[in-house]
Amino acid sequence: MNAIDTAIRAAAASITVKGLTKAYDAQTVVIPPMDVELKAGEFTVVLGPSGCGKSTLLQMIAGLERVSGGKILIGAREVQDLEPKHRGCAMVFQNYALYPHMTVFENMAYSLKVAGMQKAERTERVAAVAKMLGLADYLQRKPGQLSGGQRQRVAIGRAIVREPGVLLFDEPLSNLDAQLRHDMRVELADLHRRIGATTVFVTHDQVEAMTLADRILILNKGRIEQFDTPKAIYHHPASVFVAKFIGAPPMNILSVTGDGSALRLADGQVVANAPLTGAYQLGLRPEDIVVDGKADGHAVKAKLRFREDLGSHSVLAADLGGSIVRIATPFGAEIADQLELHLNFPTSRLHLFDAATGRAIPGAFGAQ
Amino acid sequence: MTSESTLFSNRWLPALLVAPFMLLIVLFFYVPIFQAFYWSFFLEQPFGGGSMFVGLDNFARVLSDREFWQAGWRTILFMVTGSSLAVLVPLILAVAADRKIRLSLPARNVLVWPKGVAGASIGVVFAFVFNPFVGILAPLNQAFPGIWAPGIDGTDAFITLIAAHVWGGIPFNFVILLAGLQSIPRTMHQAAAMDGAGPWRRIFDVQLPLIMPQLFLTLVLEFTESVTSAFALIDTITHGGPGGATTLLVYKIYKDGFSGYDLSGASTQTAILMVFVILLTAAQFVFLGRRINYER
Ligand SMILES: Nc1ncnc2c1ncn2[C@@H]1O[C@H](COP(=O)(O)OP(=O)(O)OP(=O)(O)O)[C@@H](O)[C@H]1O
Ligand SMILES: [Mg+2]
Repeated sequence: MNAIDTAIRAAAASITVKGLTKAYDAQTVVIPPMDVELKAGEFTVVLGPSGCGKSTLLQMIAGLERVSGGKILIGAREVQDLEPKHRGCAMVFQNYALYPHMTVFENMAYSLKVAGMQKAERTERVAAVAKMLGLADYLQRKPGQLSGGQRQRVAIGRAIVREPGVLLFDEPLSNLDAQLRHDMRVELADLHRRIGATTVFVTHDQVEAMTLADRILILNKGRIEQFDTPKAIYHHPASVFVAKFIGAPPMNILSVTGDGSALRLADGQVVANAPLTGAYQLGLRPEDIVVDGKADGHAVKAKLRFREDLGSHSVLAADLGGSIVRIATPFGAEIADQLELHLNFPTSRLHLFDAATGRAIPGAFGAQ
Repeated sequence: MTSESTLFSNRWLPALLVAPFMLLIVLFFYVPIFQAFYWSFFLEQPFGGGSMFVGLDNFARVLSDREFWQAGWRTILFMVTGSSLAVLVPLILAVAADRKIRLSLPARNVLVWPKGVAGASIGVVFAFVFNPFVGILAPLNQAFPGIWAPGIDGTDAFITLIAAHVWGGIPFNFVILLAGLQSIPRTMHQAAAMDGAGPWRRIFDVQLPLIMPQLFLTLVLEFTESVTSAFALIDTITHGGPGGATTLLVYKIYKDGFSGYDLSGASTQTAILMVFVILLTAAQFVFLGRRINYER
């Protein structure tokens, strides 16, 4: 651990958002009032579909976009009216946004130069960061002479060289190919473990979210759907939106009706016993469905439509009372090529959602 | 490259396509140039009647002429101040237009109009605009009599000339520079803002370095153009006066050749001017062009 690491760890600040809103005009309210608190040193991934306001939120924290209302606190300081440079945030952009006319060294040293730091100290700081990111051999190159991964590292170096209290990333990996993306993800996780900066990372890639995040903030049209650990989000999705957004393939959602003692599908098959009446949405992850086996739940019949073999497992798509259900078979399981499947829905794995609001109804099938 | 070879699989088609243009260039550019060089070694009789090879005599005569050197220095002065201002003023306008993108649409149109105005017309307009009695500076003359007198004062006349030249140069340079500024990605500004650079600092650290190719282009074109385009302005506004204060080399060549009937002297000066412009442009490419980073 060197000086940069400890300095950033010490500077790491919490981010508190109070009643924050953003509207471009009366019709386009991008972010309705939002309240959230990101702890100091925490790695938060902001996840959501395209256009849900992730970048807008990030840019408001950074100071690149004006807030329409509410407060942003970094540490104990109110920053919503401050210039970006007074907020102690650094940012990594999707297209890197490196200065093409400056060398790698100059790119990384620029913020220090603007801040009026002496040349000797600048050189020392940049050298330390370059060493940490494996860029020491490239300091005299221009960004145009670097590969995509190297450019991304320079962009990260430029951000952390200032020892910011808050590190902001806007889809930093989406311009990289799959292999590099994976490598950079591992590197980013490692970097965060070492420097411990409060990090906000915007993505619409759920794998990045699941692997990097301490907590995931899921946005839907500017509203927070759920803010929790990856594990909790996966196992206890707070809404149908979250359930469908996380997991590949995503959770199956079936419309069911309660008759007071059991939940029935549209075709009348019983999927679970529960003293419920009315319309509900029932969720079940593809990997929790048991095919042709014994389990603690009800068995239903479905017609196989097609299957995809992915090597490690297969994904089956079956027609269940008119809606498609996806089933992920366990590793190595042989499923006979048959048209009629007997599916078992383990009651302990079922998720129940309100049909009207889409919010989860916890504890509907006993303890979960 | 395959695309080129497939596009022009016919060997003669490319030649045929450029032929009309080449013909024009040869006829109206290379032939006169060659003739100017050729004539500069001959003594031409003013009213016809044969010419006589005199070697470098013409050059000796021209180079020992004090008026030639004065016109030469004026040309350089005009070139340096006129071209720098003709790039600087549009640059300032372009930076401003780039900031306030809403105003830039009308500005872009309004500022481009002068492009459609011929040099001579610009001259006539400016002769009126800077007229000491009815022009925009007339009130100044009323307050301080004699302070603005382009008809008598050589400096005032020179300023008028430069103002007209700069005004005529705004449209093209403005468009080129604004296009350069607009092609700088938004995130580049954001990154610089995150790095702590304010708007002023960003102009010098980010915007100007990134539009170097455009700046270089406008500067090279301005330098070469200012040598010749001044003619229309001088001919309409000052006629080289007062007292020869605005007689640049182009105008002197014209006067010597067509009023003084010193065809050999005019040819010689043309040759010298041409060599000067060529050397200057070459120097710009050698010393400036190489340092420019065209990568984005
Ligand atoms: N200048 C603007 N004027 C009006 N609406 C805007 C403006 N900028 C963004 N928006 C709208 O704000 C919404 C959120 O945009 P934002 O860029 O934050 O989305 P995002 O979640 O980052 O999406 P992506 O994943 O595609 O990057 C979008 O619906 C967009 O159309
Ligand atoms: Mg975005």
